[in-house]
Amino acid sequence: MKKVKYKDAIREAMMEEMAKDPDIILVGEDIAKGYEGCFGVTKGLCQVFGEERIIDMPICEASVIGCALGAAQLGIKVIAEVMFEDFITVCFDGIVNQAAKLKTLSGGQYNASVVIRAPGGSAGYGAQHSQCLESIFMHVPGLYIAIPSNAYDAKGLMKTAINFGGPVLFFEHQKLYNTEAEIPDDEYTIPFGKGNVLNTGKDVTVVAFSYMALLALDACKSLESSYGVSIEVIDPRTLVPLDFEMISASVKKTGRLVTVEEGVLRGGVGSELVARIGEECFDYLDAPTKRIASLNFQIPISPLMEKAVIPNKDSIISEIAAYLNLK
Amino acid sequence: MNIENNLLLEFFAKLFLCRRFEEKVYQLILDGVVLGSVHLSLGEEAAAVGTIGALEKSDYILPTHRGHCQHLAKGADPNRLMAELACKESGYCRGNSGSIHIFDKENNNLGSNGIIGAQFPIAVGVGRAIKYKKMKDCVACFTGDGATNQGWFYELLNLASLWSLPVIIICVNNLYGMGTPYCNTSLVSVNEKPRLFKIRSEVVDGNDVEAIYLIMKELVYLAKTEGKPALLECLTYRWMGHSAFDQRPYRPKEEIAKWKSMDPVKRAENKLRQRGVNSKVIDEIKDKVNNQVEEAADFAIKSKFPEFDTSMQM
Repeated sequence: MKKVKYKDAIREAMMEEMAKDPDIILVGEDIAKGYEGCFGVTKGLCQVFGEERIIDMPICEASVIGCALGAAQLGIKVIAEVMFEDFITVCFDGIVNQAAKLKTLSGGQYNASVVIRAPGGSAGYGAQHSQCLESIFMHVPGLYIAIPSNAYDAKGLMKTAINFGGPVLFFEHQKLYNTEAEIPDDEYTIPFGKGNVLNTGKDVTVVAFSYMALLALDACKSLESSYGVSIEVIDPRTLVPLDFEMISASVKKTGRLVTVEEGVLRGGVGSELVARIGEECFDYLDAPTKRIASLNFQIPISPLMEKAVIPNKDSIISEIAAYLNLK
Repeated sequence: MNIENNLLLEFFAKLFLCRRFEEKVYQLILDGVVLGSVHLSLGEEAAAVGTIGALEKSDYILPTHRGHCQHLAKGADPNRLMAELACKESGYCRGNSGSIHIFDKENNNLGSNGIIGAQFPIAVGVGRAIKYKKMKDCVACFTGDGATNQGWFYELLNLASLWSLPVIIICVNNLYGMGTPYCNTSLVSVNEKPRLFKIRSEVVDGNDVEAIYLIMKELVYLAKTEGKPALLECLTYRWMGHSAFDQRPYRPKEEIAKWKSMDPVKRAENKLRQRGVNSKVIDEIKDKVNNQVEEAADFAIKSKFPEFDTSMQM
C-alpha cells in the first residue's frame, strides 16, 4: 500500500493502461508538454508516451470530443480531457447526439469507446468554472457516469472506464485532486454500478458522491457523536449504472433517505433518487425523503454567497439534524 | 482528359442505381413503407459517384443526412439500405437509424448524421487515427453548402491544416440550405473558405461524373501521399424538396427546368453513346438495376420491424 493523491491516482490508471495497450490515446487542451494539464493530471505523460498519443488540441472543445469519437470509430480508445466541467457544454452535441447514440443508431456496428474526464465543483472560480452538471447527462440514455470521491476509487474506476467500451463521463472534483488515499501496489479495478458503504448505520440513509461524500461522511460522524444517531452513508461511485439495490436495501433498513450533492437542487441527481425510492420503497419509508444540494442559483464567486449556495459540513449537519428532529 | 469506357460504364451503373433507388424511395414514402425523415438527392448523384469512385474500399466516408447515393456509391447493398429506410430489422442498423444516420462498417462508411455539420469534428478524429495507425487511407467528409456556416467547419479546416490530415471535404453545393439560398447565408463562397487555412480548394461541375472523378483522384493521391487536406465543391442541384413533402415554393420553375436539362445520369449515358458504347450494353445495365431496385423494395417490405425489449434500456 502507498498513499497517493487523487490526481496522481487517475494518472497512474491511465499510464498503466496505456503501457498495456498502444491503442489508447489522450486528447485535450494543454495536456501535453508545457502546461501538462490545468490541474496536473497529465503531468509527465507526454515524456513517456510522446505527442502522437498525448494530443494537445487548440481551444476547440467540440473538436476535442469529435477527435475522440472519430478515432474511436477506428478502434482507438480515447481519453478526452475537458478542462472544466462547465466547458463540456461547448461539446454537448458530441456527447449527447453522437457518443450516446452511436451504438444504437449504428445497430451495434460502432461504439464510442471514449472516456471524457472533466473536473467539476466549486473552488472559488465563479459561475462558469464551478458547476456540477452530472444530472444533465444522467438524463441521456447511452451515457455512463463515474464520479469518484477518493483516490482509491478514482484509480479503480478509471481503469474500468477506459476498457468499458461505451462513452463514460468521468467527473472529477477540483477540491479532491490533492486528497490522499491508500492504494494497493497490485492491479485492481472497481466495477461500474457497485456502490460503497462509507459508514454503516440504522437510523437514516445518506447518499452522497464526489466531494460531497467527504463532507457528508464528516457531517454524519459529527451527528453520530453529538446525538448518538446511527447514519448509513453510501457513495454510489457511478451514477449510471446506479447501484440502486444497495441504496434501496439501506432505505428499507433505515426508513429514511437524504441525498447530498453539489449540483443544484432542481432536477438534480437527488431528485431522481428520491423519485425512485418513492416509487419502489414507499411502504418502507418512515418519513418524507430529503434532498440537500446547491440552491437554485449560479455558483457565486464571492465567498459569503458561495457559502450560502453550496452545501458545507455545517449546513449538512443542520439540515440532517432538522430532518431527524434531533435536539 | 477522358476516362476509360469501362470505368465510365461502372459509374453509369452506379448513377443509374442511385437514380432508380431514390425514385423508388419516393414512391415508398408515399406508400407509407419508407418512414421518418427522408432527404432525397435526385439530381446530385454524380457528386457521390464521382468522388467515391476515386476512393478505395478501405478509405472512409462521413456522408451527409442526404446520403443515400453516398452509401450506394461506397458499396452499400441496396436491399439492406432500403430495409433500413423502412426501419426494418434487416437494415444496416437493424432499423434503428432510418434514412438520416446510416452506418455501414463493412464499407468503412462511418455514418451519416442527423445533426448538420456534426461530421466535421468527427472527421478530425478519423484523420488523426489514420495517421496514428500509419494507415494509407483517407477520409472523405461530405457536407452540403449550408453546413459550411457551422463553426465546426472552421475547426476542421484549422485542424486538418495544422496536422496535415488526410481529409477531403466534399461539398455538394445544391444552392439551398433547406429553403435558404446560399447567397443569403454567407458573403464568402464555399471554395474560398478553406483558402484562409492554406487548404487547397477546387470547384467542379457537379453534374459531370467524369470531371469530378478526375479531380478527386488527384486530391486523394495528395491526401494519402503528402497528407494534404482539400475541399472539392461540386456545383449541382437538388431536384426535390429539402425533405419528401417540401413543395419548394422558394424556387423558380425555370431554375428547376434548367438544372434538369443538365441531368448527371443522362449526361453520363450520352457520353457513353458518343464514345461508341453499344446501346445493348447500356440497356443491360438499366435492366439489371431496375430488377435490383424492385428486389430491394420487395426485401424491405417483407422484412420484419424490430421490437423493443425493456432490457434494452440504458
